[in-house]
Amino acid sequence: MLITMSLERGLKAMLINRIFNGNDAVYGLTVGAIDAAIAEHGADKAVGFPDTAYCLPCYYAVTGVKVKTLGDLKEAVGVVKTLMTRNHELDDALMSGVATALCAEFIEALKYIDGAAPYAEPCYGHLSDAIIRTLGVPLVTGDIPGVAVILGSAPTAQEGVDLIKSYQAQGILVALVGGIIDQCEELGYKTGAGLRVVPLGKDVTSVIHIVSVAIRAALIFGNVTPGDAGALLAYTAQRVPAFVNAFKPIDDVILAAGAGAIKLGFPVISNETENIAEVPGALIQQLDTAAMNATSLEARGIKIKVTNIDIPVAFASAFEGEIIRRGDMQVEFDGSRVDCFELVQSKELSEIEDHKIEVIGPEIDEFEVGSKHSIGYVVEVAGKNMQADFESVIERKFHSYINCIEGVMHTGQRDMIRVRISKDAYAAGFRAKHIGEVLYAKIKNEYDAIVDKCQVKIYTNPEDCTKLRHELAVETFNKRDERLNSLTDEAVDVYYSCILCQAFSPSHVCVVTPERLGLCGAVSWLDAKATNELDPNGPCQVITKERVIDERTGAYEDVNEAVKKFSQGAVEQVTLYSIMEDPMTSCGCFECICGIEPFSNGVIIANREYAGVTPLGMTFPELASMTGGGVQTPGFMGHGKHFIASKKFMKAEGGIERIVWMPKELKETVADRLNKTAFELYGIENFTDMIGDETIAEDPETLLAFLTEKGHPALGMDPMM
Amino acid sequence: MPFNGKSGKFNAAIRTVEIGTGDKAVKLGGECVAPLYSFDAPIENAPKVGVLITDHGFENESEGIKAYYEGCSNWGEIAQRAAAMEGADFLVLKFDKADPNGENAPVEDCLAIINEVAAATDMPLVIAGCKNAEKDAEIFNKAAEALQGKNVLIFSAKEENYKGVAASAVLAYGQKVGAESSVDINLAKQLNVVISQVGVDMGNIVMNVGTATAGYGFEYVVSTLDRVKAAALGQDDAQLQMPIMTNVGDETWAVKESTASEADIPAWGPVDARGVNMEVATAMAVLASGSNAVILKHPTSVATVSKLIKELM
Repeated sequence: MLITMSLERGLKAMLINRIFNGNDAVYGLTVGAIDAAIAEHGADKAVGFPDTAYCLPCYYAVTGVKVKTLGDLKEAVGVVKTLMTRNHELDDALMSGVATALCAEFIEALKYIDGAAPYAEPCYGHLSDAIIRTLGVPLVTGDIPGVAVILGSAPTAQEGVDLIKSYQAQGILVALVGGIIDQCEELGYKTGAGLRVVPLGKDVTSVIHIVSVAIRAALIFGNVTPGDAGALLAYTAQRVPAFVNAFKPIDDVILAAGAGAIKLGFPVISNETENIAEVPGALIQQLDTAAMNATSLEARGIKIKVTNIDIPVAFASAFEGEIIRRGDMQVEFDGSRVDCFELVQSKELSEIEDHKIEVIGPEIDEFEVGSKHSIGYVVEVAGKNMQADFESVIERKFHSYINCIEGVMHTGQRDMIRVRISKDAYAAGFRAKHIGEVLYAKIKNEYDAIVDKCQVKIYTNPEDCTKLRHELAVETFNKRDERLNSLTDEAVDVYYSCILCQAFSPSHVCVVTPERLGLCGAVSWLDAKATNELDPNGPCQVITKERVIDERTGAYEDVNEAVKKFSQGAVEQVTLYSIMEDPMTSCGCFECICGIEPFSNGVIIANREYAGVTPLGMTFPELASMTGGGVQTPGFMGHGKHFIASKKFMKAEGGIERIVWMPKELKETVADRLNKTAFELYGIENFTDMIGDETIAEDPETLLAFLTEKGHPALGMDPMM
Repeated sequence: MPFNGKSGKFNAAIRTVEIGTGDKAVKLGGECVAPLYSFDAPIENAPKVGVLITDHGFENESEGIKAYYEGCSNWGEIAQRAAAMEGADFLVLKFDKADPNGENAPVEDCLAIINEVAAATDMPLVIAGCKNAEKDAEIFNKAAEALQGKNVLIFSAKEENYKGVAASAVLAYGQKVGAESSVDINLAKQLNVVISQVGVDMGNIVMNVGTATAGYGFEYVVSTLDRVKAAALGQDDAQLQMPIMTNVGDETWAVKESTASEADIPAWGPVDARGVNMEVATAMAVLASGSNAVILKHPTSVATVSKLIKELM
């Protein structure tokens, strides 16, 4: 332990020393060059880059001072000297890196004296403000997802060009410095700003021209005030997705320049092994040129958008309802007969190779036409913001994703899925691996805020499917169910608002809690949480629950503030668990309405599908007119079906014991869960048998007689009004 | 939802956004009272009226509009004629022909018109696109570059292209940007938030919350405008305090009341008068609901609405 620590310390000291040396060397050269230039041209000689309003952009951005003459430059180099502190700390070394970069800018500026054109085709040297304005917009929009700076010569010209190509294919802007430019020429590889491959120059100091782009972008697009070095560094680190690929040999000067890049927030990835030490997240070793792309993207946190899905058939929501008859199908995977499953699993970033799609077992070609087989697909995802809770949210979308493939039908979920692939789709070249392509592309696209990397494993061997279904999939499903069951309002720290339907119900806000899903039945607490993570400015916002007003009714100051804010002041307070005191409002899309039934001290519930009359003498639409549109009507409330069996259902008024009537169909839908809750809360068995329905009573008198006969508990409770 | 009418000065105000330069520059917004409630407190900047010119020319416009522009032989003359309308405060260039699903006119054609117009008039300019988000981003980028220093309003960034449009218009070329949503307060607010996250100062944004012709689901428009202003002024919601510009003319001249010929429906009377009525009625309704500027087509509408505004101030 002690040995590794001292070794680490030794390596760090070596690294810092080398940066200092490199910095000193460049500084010496700079001072010499400036003095020589002054001797030749005089101190009043103008100095600067062409076509920029920012003089020497890097120096101007860092200090706020515009250098216009050689005399100014001489003063500036004195200021740079003050950055070159020599404490043996990493921060000093990084500042020396910045000093090295500024020196490089001075040396480059001297090349342009007297309107000289120091760079010839294919090299660009200094880039004009106009180029930055055109590059800046796609950088801001993410159309250019990153900036790669390649420095030095790749092990072979081919490897170098392949690396450039890989970045180009991702839309990344590539800047070239040094030997890599010759390597491109050697292979006749085309370069140019239009191709997003910009050779800067052969000297290492020419790297400043791409740094200058990043810095002017911060001034133009980031509203950074020149001289505000802190804001500048924050902008480049957070908003300019650049990184450096430096090929060996890395001498002290390159290392010092690299330190400058690191200070700006740009990691350096290198194949150098001699006299160097890794600095996590900043200076990273990658010996394999082919892997530099992936290493760099991960280090800089760059996500590449997937725009097209690589499959031989069409993909559109128009195919979602497509039915594939037995006679038209090439092959079928049927979870009701053999072992099938679909599963999303979250993993560590290091465990996943992005876009790896494996078919483990035979492809469809090996199956007989019309035959039935096992399939199991595991989609492994990883991301800094990924949470296990989101697995099921993503997994639930598989049905829609796979159904949107032309010639593929999908039903069910979890380990009860059925997938049919049509003969036409097969003839067009569709195979099992394409299911992986679709899942990969859709997940990367729709969940890019939480999924950084994704790989798909498709199992078609019956043995694998059987084993994984029981050992992996079912295990996971059970764990998730346990988590859902343990997910109570008390167990979480925050609730979420949902205003998805405010477009037509302007003053309504749903407060979504684990035990009370949105009244439309479509937004659970987990959904709201995922929506918030995916779209932080979207319809679902975090509501804290720190300031309790009344536990019994579920009243919170935080909730009231949120409701007031999101309803633009239309609703001032709501309770989570009461239908009498400030009940939660409804839009118009509730699955059910419950309303007070005065004769029995209870409530009746009607669902949207129920066309008849309730014992209140009102139909569903009539009830809806009393509760919709964000109005609070004590005694009436819209809610989701799932909420009926919740322990929080009108808890303030005594809970589900109050339910005296439901349409038969609804009663049957919720019976199992409602009976379970009733047993757990009150020890009542088969509670739903005590609840009336339209076959028993459609008027209050008959209902009351039925309830009395059954001994319904509501009859003995305190009046609600 | 019950209406709680409340008169009086608010402690919050709509931001003032200036477009154009020099004497003709116009200021939008700045008020701290309910729409047109100049009796509660002075309204610093009266609502403004813009004149819409599309790259289709006037071939398919109503007789009155066609007659007004008669004799104009190039875009410069058209712009000058439009600018001369009584009550016109700014000009709006709209590039319908650029739509890839239609004629797909190249961006260069749009630029040519823009340059001609910019050279011919010193009226503040508003540049509107063709409704195709991708093509609009291209047009807006080039227009913002070509019009550097003119402080024009790029109208507008939408959810699909706001990053590119806002970054190029405001950050790269120092123009103003519109934020276009479709009649929904939450979408409007969300767009303002994400545009400001690109780095655009809220003071450079003008909202375009969408509209309909009066009688065509117009109550949604009124409700949205109402609620935006209520949140901006009543609740001091900084993310909704941008002035609002509404493209009325484009909507109202497309409905049956403004297009059906007199021959088809003699009882309705002459087309031109009907179209003006629809345009004026809708314009006054959006102004009364909170819009700070309206875009109109017909010279009579422009004169009428601007006169009404003057009378009310």
